[in-house]
Amino acid sequence: MKNEQLKAIIENYNGPKLRIMEVCGTHTHEIFRLGIRKILPPSIELISGPGCPVCVTPVSFIDEAVMLALEYSCTVCTFGDLVRVPGTKMSLAGARAEGGKIHIVYSPMDAEIHAKEHPEEQVVFLSVGFETTTPASCLAVSMAEEDGIDNFSLLTANKTMPSAYEMLKDFVDVYLYPGHVNAVMGNAECRKLAEQGISGVVSGFTANELLSALAVSVVKSQQGKPFFVNAYPRVVTEEGSPAARAMMDKYLETYDCEWRGLGIIPASGKRLKDEYAAYDARKKYSLPKVEGHGNPACRCGEVLQGKIKPSDCPCFGKACNPMHPVGACMVSNEGACSAYYQYGEEL
Amino acid sequence: MDNKNTAEVITLAHGAGGHQTSELIDKVFKAHFSNPDLTADDAAVLAAPKGRMAMTTDGFIVSPAFFPGGNIGKLSICGTVNDLACMGAKPLYLSCAFVIEEGFPMEKLEEIAAAMEKTAAEAGVRVVSGDTKVAGKGQVDGVFITTTGVGEIREGVETSGTLAKPGDAVIVTGDIGRHGCTILLQREDFGIEANVTSDCAPLWGTVNALLDATNDIHVIRDATRGGVGTVLYEITGQSNVGIELNASAIPVAPEVKGVCGMLGLEPLYLACEGRLVIIAPNDKAELILETLRKQPYSQNAAIIGTITADHPGKVVMETEIGAKTVLSQPGGELLPRIC
Amino acid sequence: MCVGLSAKVVKVQDGMALIDADGARREVSAKMLDSLEPGDYVMVHAGIAIAKITEDDDEQSDELIEELNEGII
Repeated sequence: MKNEQLKAIIENYNGPKLRIMEVCGTHTHEIFRLGIRKILPPSIELISGPGCPVCVTPVSFIDEAVMLALEYSCTVCTFGDLVRVPGTKMSLAGARAEGGKIHIVYSPMDAEIHAKEHPEEQVVFLSVGFETTTPASCLAVSMAEEDGIDNFSLLTANKTMPSAYEMLKDFVDVYLYPGHVNAVMGNAECRKLAEQGISGVVSGFTANELLSALAVSVVKSQQGKPFFVNAYPRVVTEEGSPAARAMMDKYLETYDCEWRGLGIIPASGKRLKDEYAAYDARKKYSLPKVEGHGNPACRCGEVLQGKIKPSDCPCFGKACNPMHPVGACMVSNEGACSAYYQYGEEL
Repeated sequence: MDNKNTAEVITLAHGAGGHQTSELIDKVFKAHFSNPDLTADDAAVLAAPKGRMAMTTDGFIVSPAFFPGGNIGKLSICGTVNDLACMGAKPLYLSCAFVIEEGFPMEKLEEIAAAMEKTAAEAGVRVVSGDTKVAGKGQVDGVFITTTGVGEIREGVETSGTLAKPGDAVIVTGDIGRHGCTILLQREDFGIEANVTSDCAPLWGTVNALLDATNDIHVIRDATRGGVGTVLYEITGQSNVGIELNASAIPVAPEVKGVCGMLGLEPLYLACEGRLVIIAPNDKAELILETLRKQPYSQNAAIIGTITADHPGKVVMETEIGAKTVLSQPGGELLPRIC
Repeated sequence: MCVGLSAKVVKVQDGMALIDADGARREVSAKMLDSLEPGDYVMVHAGIAIAKITEDDDEQSDELIEELNEGII
């Protein structure tokens, strides 16, 4: 269906106030880039959720990574997204300026290959991400096992979404589920949530897909029953990728995990099982417990919960801007604060 | 290390000012840059241009020094020649200063000098003064080159980033982002294969042909570091205007698009080394396009937007769904992202 | 949270797939999917093919809205 027709469905909504949370940071980014908020009627509110792995990674994780680079002389391999996130004292970019080896990779598997090709280096991959990204880290560990190398490990901060859906359900009428998480996990969890009264629609990432998912949300909400719709069936199947889930189950265990701004969420983190301690940087290097300290004025936590808009934070656009980010939501291209800063103002 | 090897690399002695320095100058630089204005005296003695002069300087530290589509030598001539061309100035004289890392292969240095010779000849500019320093191993990365250029501004031409006027057309002279994309793929180990070459090219010929067609041009800028997006934002600031971009008209090579898709990058912010942004009255836009498309480095020239009085300081695009949004600006270093 | 790239599979060998997006090529892991073949379209994230792509987005939305109108979903 044409974008114009989908837009008409959304624009014509005149029901009660509808709060839709786009959970995924890439959705946030695309929604801003496309200007979707500008076509919404006043009764539809889009809330940016906590699905940006960079934004929810605690300050202490950056501190650990900096410590590994500078004090343990490790080669720290990372996705580009994390390089500018402020730690307590410095970011990874800061660590690089002080001589730390910070290596940007496209895939965790490239970090493993780097380790294999540089046996003289101790390589640590910064394993962040949700269910979409986590299998790639597991794959890198399995490659390290096969290659028999002992200079590769993960610093994990991997997270899973369902407990966050639970936690934020009172602020939301409909979730736009992150299509690529469902591509891996399948739809079972989301269907279960619908049975518990939590509605949601799986969305893809193109203009047409985002408009479709919003149109479906609007129409289904008016029918008055909790619902689940997979509006991204060209990529998301019911069962997802069993192979990817098996990979995660083999290497990882679930634990109560800290989310920046949200605190500890029960059973929301993934870390390596004890039997893979050799690949767990915290255990391998016996890292001391690190207590990270963010800037106290930063209100990223409330932004992530959809409680305040980025512009309500006293730092926003002043001390905190994309050139000098104070909080993670301003660093990440898909962070709500960055998106508001770049695109937010009215024309 | 045996004598044979040491003879083929640059040593600290090459920078010490004695016999080996003059040997290096004779063998590499004089051999390639020889012209009547380049003498052994302490400074070049030159005839002053008749009209107004333009002068510019630029340092080049590209890593790797050799890349598909060029090398640091070609780049160091293009960069300065193009800066002059942007002011409507015919490049006349260049100086170049080399800082070379001890151990740098002589053969590579010759290759760089040969590229400079060829590019300078194409741009019609003479290298009239030079300097060579050798830095200890690890103090520089391979070779750094600084070039300074002087040019004569064509009569009746006045271009500046402050002169964009509402209603003007915004033109780019070709597909964007190729140099930045090429260097990124060469420098980083992303495992991506793509047939992308740098757009590095000397553009005085292009600008000269354009000025033969019309003097009525408000802004010419080369979209180097920061790419076309950064140049557009600079112009909105300098001229206190807005820009409305037609995103679908911006030429991007499919391979560049593919690489950007993989790495989550925006082609508008990737460096070009052979592309100009031209801003001129709308009624001259077609003439300009026609002229550009006859020149070798601007056959894919396109009109990509309009200068507006609205939303000064902002670059705005109409999106696929018909809403208008602001072109986002990157925060510092361009980093590939997965999120 | 997860930038996906849609790309065409060019070659599959030893659990790896060579994928092509507008002429940019890279090897990615094919281990998360069954029976990948050259010519398939896949969604790629962080070096792995996470899903097959079965149709275009506008076909998808046609079907969705039809099902919505007919009360199937």
